[in-house]
Amino acid sequence: MRLPTIAILLCLACAIAGAAPVAQKIPSTGGAAKPAPQPPLVIPPATPPATTPPAPGPGETDETTALPTPSTAAQDLYSSAKGDLLQIRMLLKNGRSQSTVGSGFLVGTGNLVLTNYHVVSQMALDPDVYIGEYVDTDGKTGPVELMAVDVLHDLAVVRVNRAGTGFFQVPDHPVKLTQGQYLYSLGNPLDLGFAISEGSYNGVVRRSFYDQLVFTGPINSGMSGGPSVTVSGTVAGVNVSKRLDGESVSFLVPVRYAQELLRKVAAQPHPPKNFNPLIAQQLLAHQREMIDRLLAEPLSIKTMGPYHVPVRESQQLRCWGRSNFRLEAEYTGDSVSCAMEVAVYVSDSQQTGHVSMSHLYLRSAGMHPLQFSALASGRFRVDRIGASRDTRLTRPSCTEMFVHTASLPLRAVTCVRAYRKFAGLYNFTLLTASTGDAQASLQSRLDLAGVSFDNGMRATRAFLSALGRSEPRGPAQGRAQ
Amino acid sequence: MSGPWFIETLARNGDVLQRRCIDTLPIRLGRGYDNDFVIDDDYVAASHARIEPDAAGRLVLRDLGSRNGLNHRGKRLQEVVLSGDTVVRIGHTSLRVRAASFPVAPELEDRTFHRWEGALPGAAGILMAAGFALFARWLSDTQYFEFVRYFEALAWGAGAALLWSGGWAFANRLFGRHARLGRHLFVFGCGLAALAVTSLLAATIAYAFSLEAFTRYASHAATLLVAGMVYFHLSTVDPQNRRRYRWIAAGMAVLGSGLVLAYNLQRTGRLSDELYMAVLLPPSVRVSQDHGIDEFMREVEGMKPALDRGRGRKPGEDELEN
Repeated sequence: MRLPTIAILLCLACAIAGAAPVAQKIPSTGGAAKPAPQPPLVIPPATPPATTPPAPGPGETDETTALPTPSTAAQDLYSSAKGDLLQIRMLLKNGRSQSTVGSGFLVGTGNLVLTNYHVVSQMALDPDVYIGEYVDTDGKTGPVELMAVDVLHDLAVVRVNRAGTGFFQVPDHPVKLTQGQYLYSLGNPLDLGFAISEGSYNGVVRRSFYDQLVFTGPINSGMSGGPSVTVSGTVAGVNVSKRLDGESVSFLVPVRYAQELLRKVAAQPHPPKNFNPLIAQQLLAHQREMIDRLLAEPLSIKTMGPYHVPVRESQQLRCWGRSNFRLEAEYTGDSVSCAMEVAVYVSDSQQTGHVSMSHLYLRSAGMHPLQFSALASGRFRVDRIGASRDTRLTRPSCTEMFVHTASLPLRAVTCVRAYRKFAGLYNFTLLTASTGDAQASLQSRLDLAGVSFDNGMRATRAFLSALGRSEPRGPAQGRAQ
Repeated sequence: MSGPWFIETLARNGDVLQRRCIDTLPIRLGRGYDNDFVIDDDYVAASHARIEPDAAGRLVLRDLGSRNGLNHRGKRLQEVVLSGDTVVRIGHTSLRVRAASFPVAPELEDRTFHRWEGALPGAAGILMAAGFALFARWLSDTQYFEFVRYFEALAWGAGAALLWSGGWAFANRLFGRHARLGRHLFVFGCGLAALAVTSLLAATIAYAFSLEAFTRYASHAATLLVAGMVYFHLSTVDPQNRRRYRWIAAGMAVLGSGLVLAYNLQRTGRLSDELYMAVLLPPSVRVSQDHGIDEFMREVEGMKPALDRGRGRKPGEDELEN
């Protein structure tokens, strides 16, 4: 059901891709240490962060004065919205101390509140340990009940014991936005108090797996889950994340997905008791789509010396090359690594639904074969695949063998770990090293996080089969370069 | 029984510290200078004891009313009959008295290869240790040749050999008669060479025949070799107790292997040293056949049931592989 939508959006994204130049910027890799509750893996900007803002809006007169008069639009918006704006906190059941805070907003005149999944993830994953609570702009608190989550788009719906005033309207039809249009983002930044910030809409991100809107304006942690509205008060998106290496480059979940989730809540008779199987289902759906997209067409082949290596370069999967070329080394090592720049946020310490692949081509003319073997062995040794102490996954189980693909003899190792909480999901790692040359070695690695066993096998096989060599057993080939 | 008689003071391990020949009985013992055998021990009386023959003609040591008395086998006695092996403690001094006619044990067969002592084995040992260090340096060297790095390795190898063997030589001098540094250097050199050969051989066999167990449990072979090295050091220190040292070395090997297994289990949850065989050698070493991708994928698929069983378990209760 979601498939055609994504396809259409992809086409749209591709059209935009042709128009806008890509910001050449190395993404912050890893980034697991970024503060909660922002999902750590975010996407590079669709437009360079320093683009000049569009013509001043009606309320904006002078930007250079030290203390600008507040925009009247923002003033009006905040005063009419504050009744429906909530802070959502996760509390430890024991001791009722807060562990994360985010924002949310009452939809229409009902008692449903939209927020981010990552704001309520603790409550969804460990309902025995965490409970939720809301605080409104007057400081009144009350309990929240989790109704539905959408892990992939990072949305959640909770129910509270009060009704909205009807200010925040989630429209039934898609909201049409034009680039440069003013948006107002509401929430409770850094738990300092409720705030409204002004920014502009800047298109749809093409790098993320699921569409997100670029909001050129400040969103701070704690504002996650808050609404971003147009000047007329229509909800355009839900605050979700920002780039830590950029200035005011923030992202919104399009309201379209919120509409879908609200419809789902309306259709369900009562909230699910255990969200883990639901999250597992969503992650399974994600990996199906991800691997299908990865393998929709044969992997594209790049050449590294005599070797043919499979890669996939797309909007989501981006490749970077590197060489160790230094004058004092006896060998050359060129590497290409491709990775998805976004992962699905499951919890503070767990991201999944991610694919990465890398190739390292080592060669040396001057080293003795035994020396080269020592070098290649050292590079091939990976002591631990993922954190071995990671209790959410089982220990890795490995298969190793000397394998011959169509044209390349290799040593292949596949290690698999299963997710304890999410049945049917696994992490696959494939490591290969070519064995045909005494002074050249191609070492490849494929990591699939959060895939089904069949899809893991499928992608592993496709990657492994695509590894090849132009002139099998040509001894001098590896050294030519 | 006739004289002369020999009074020997003994160290705790039975070595003779001092020996004195006395021709006539009785023999007076004590700290005073008027005694026949003067004992320099603050816990001995000026006139402590006397050795004289009894009615049966046996040699007897009699207490002369001292405060600390005579002790034999942990008991204080007024008089002690002295056979050649009777050791009596007077104050802090252990004594033994033997007549000239005391029969000694037959000479031991000398199996020591006396020409292989001193500089020759020492040089061989240092050469082997230095060779090992140079080989290790060369193997891991990925930069352009620089003399100083190899010189450094040489110094490390020789230094380690001297330090390790010096410790053993010190113990040898303490418990045996000679330092035997050359022998200890040789043992160390041989041990390092054996370690190098074993690890290379294990890697080659594992890679050539696809027998991963050879690298997976390589640390146990190393443990065994180190225990063997310790055995040869101990035998050099005291060649008489070889049988006991064999047990000690075997115990050390078992303990070492047990520690390696426990450490691996604690750290990674598996018994083997590594997750998979990471050794890559030149293609000319390979003997076993390559497999097809289908076969590999079948093996991968075979892991699924165990993984799914592991899913239901608590962390730390996973099944052990291999």
